[in-house]
Amino acid sequence: MKGAALKLILLGAAFLFARASVADNMIMARVPLRAEIVLEYVKASIEEHGYTVAHLQLCDGGMKDFGYESDFYRVVFFGKVDEVRMVSARYPELVSYLPLKIAVIAEKNETLLTVLNPEALAPFFPDEALQIQLGRWQSDLMSIFQDVRRAVGARIVSNH
Amino acid sequence: MNLIRLLSGGLAIAAFSVLGTANAAPDGRELYIEHCSACHQMEGQSGIGLPLLNAKLADVSDNYLHSTIRLGRPGRVMPAFQRLSDAQVGAIVKFLRQRSETKEIVYSDEPVAGDAAHGQALYAENCVKCHGADGTGEGPGTGVTTSRERTFLVMPASISNTGFLASAPDQMIRRVIHVGRKSSGMPSFDGKLSETDIDDLVAYVRSFDQQERSVAEIDADERPTHVFESPHDFETTVKNVKAALTGANFRIFPDRLLEQGLTDEFSVNTRQVGVRFCNFNVLYGMLKIEPRLGVVLPCRITIMEREGGEVILVVPNLRVISRWFNNDELVGLWDRMEETFTNIIDEATL
Repeated sequence: MKGAALKLILLGAAFLFARASVADNMIMARVPLRAEIVLEYVKASIEEHGYTVAHLQLCDGGMKDFGYESDFYRVVFFGKVDEVRMVSARYPELVSYLPLKIAVIAEKNETLLTVLNPEALAPFFPDEALQIQLGRWQSDLMSIFQDVRRAVGARIVSNH
Repeated sequence: MNLIRLLSGGLAIAAFSVLGTANAAPDGRELYIEHCSACHQMEGQSGIGLPLLNAKLADVSDNYLHSTIRLGRPGRVMPAFQRLSDAQVGAIVKFLRQRSETKEIVYSDEPVAGDAAHGQALYAENCVKCHGADGTGEGPGTGVTTSRERTFLVMPASISNTGFLASAPDQMIRRVIHVGRKSSGMPSFDGKLSETDIDDLVAYVRSFDQQERSVAEIDADERPTHVFESPHDFETTVKNVKAALTGANFRIFPDRLLEQGLTDEFSVNTRQVGVRFCNFNVLYGMLKIEPRLGVVLPCRITIMEREGGEVILVVPNLRVISRWFNNDELVGLWDRMEETFTNIIDEATL
């Protein structure tokens, strides 16, 4: 029993300091906690970063209506109204990618967080101001994922 | 319990110290959590990525792992981690070795000489059922997810993938054919095929190097979205888009204003609306192929009235987006779906 607890603590401690993975076009992170709880951490961190959660899309909800079995699958939409206004006025091409969104996907008792890396759009828009904006979004998304991992890591450590 | 609390506190302090040390050697465990665990899970059980089974790790060299991390598997979800330093990749490999308690097998780079034509006949007889005629692996699907229906528990390796072929020396392929891989259902061909036959098979597998990737590159000038001008006013355009979507068998969700939820109802711009839609049959099939699809869901056509009264429709370019997933199967589907989107816009802007 102590061995299992120690293993969990080690895992929790590791997550306290882990960052999210950036594989070019996708930012991803796995957290060892149920998706329903992780979703709350995600929303809290989004707000702490100065964004507003616009709405929550229940992807599995729609599928269940059609008789499909599915795991917990949510998409959190969020943004800053000033940024959305600036982008829609200056770069209307980009509105398809706004508000920003994070997919929260259950995998049994773990959760996968994934988001399109805004920097994937950078090669299409050489405008310097926009490059800075895309970089800022990437940085915030990484920070949100890191916050969630820290919170989950701390929760694991404190529960044992 | 006190001991565990003490340990956890100590661990946290130790981790802070390690992080605070400039130029410290890269920590393979941290790097694994950061870059690999999202797909392969913490213990390598698999998820979006293939399982990193101990038995499999025992069959391969450190060079193979290094090269696999560096090159990825083009078109098969596993990205190429080009931004990691050699030391970081080495640390991940070392961590995998320590965790699995396996030792590498070092293979020589000596090529295997064989008759690829004869190997092709042997491949059709012995390998095609699992690895597919083109060597890309059994049936539809890329990688493994725990929630996906599959014929095999583990997806047979894509042995024609350029990332695999660049990572696996002939001698490694030869050995795997000899001894098989019990952990993933690959049988041993020892005694069933002669040494010459196995060499011929290796030569045929190596010839996949010449195979062209089925996914076409997109034009350099393609944009991440399409922007169309509507000849109609805002309301008519919205109505036309919905009619075209309904005609194409999409379910339409309630309208959502671009700024909705981000500001109060009196300040929200009502001349920017997202018409969101879905075909759940198609979506369900796609999620099996690409579980991360949520990052671009739901499908949406944004209709905006500009300052001068001009109405535009903004539609994501599926050909560009699908390539961001490094998933050839998704690319094939979305290249076809792009045509459906084009027809919808044509109809709505007639």
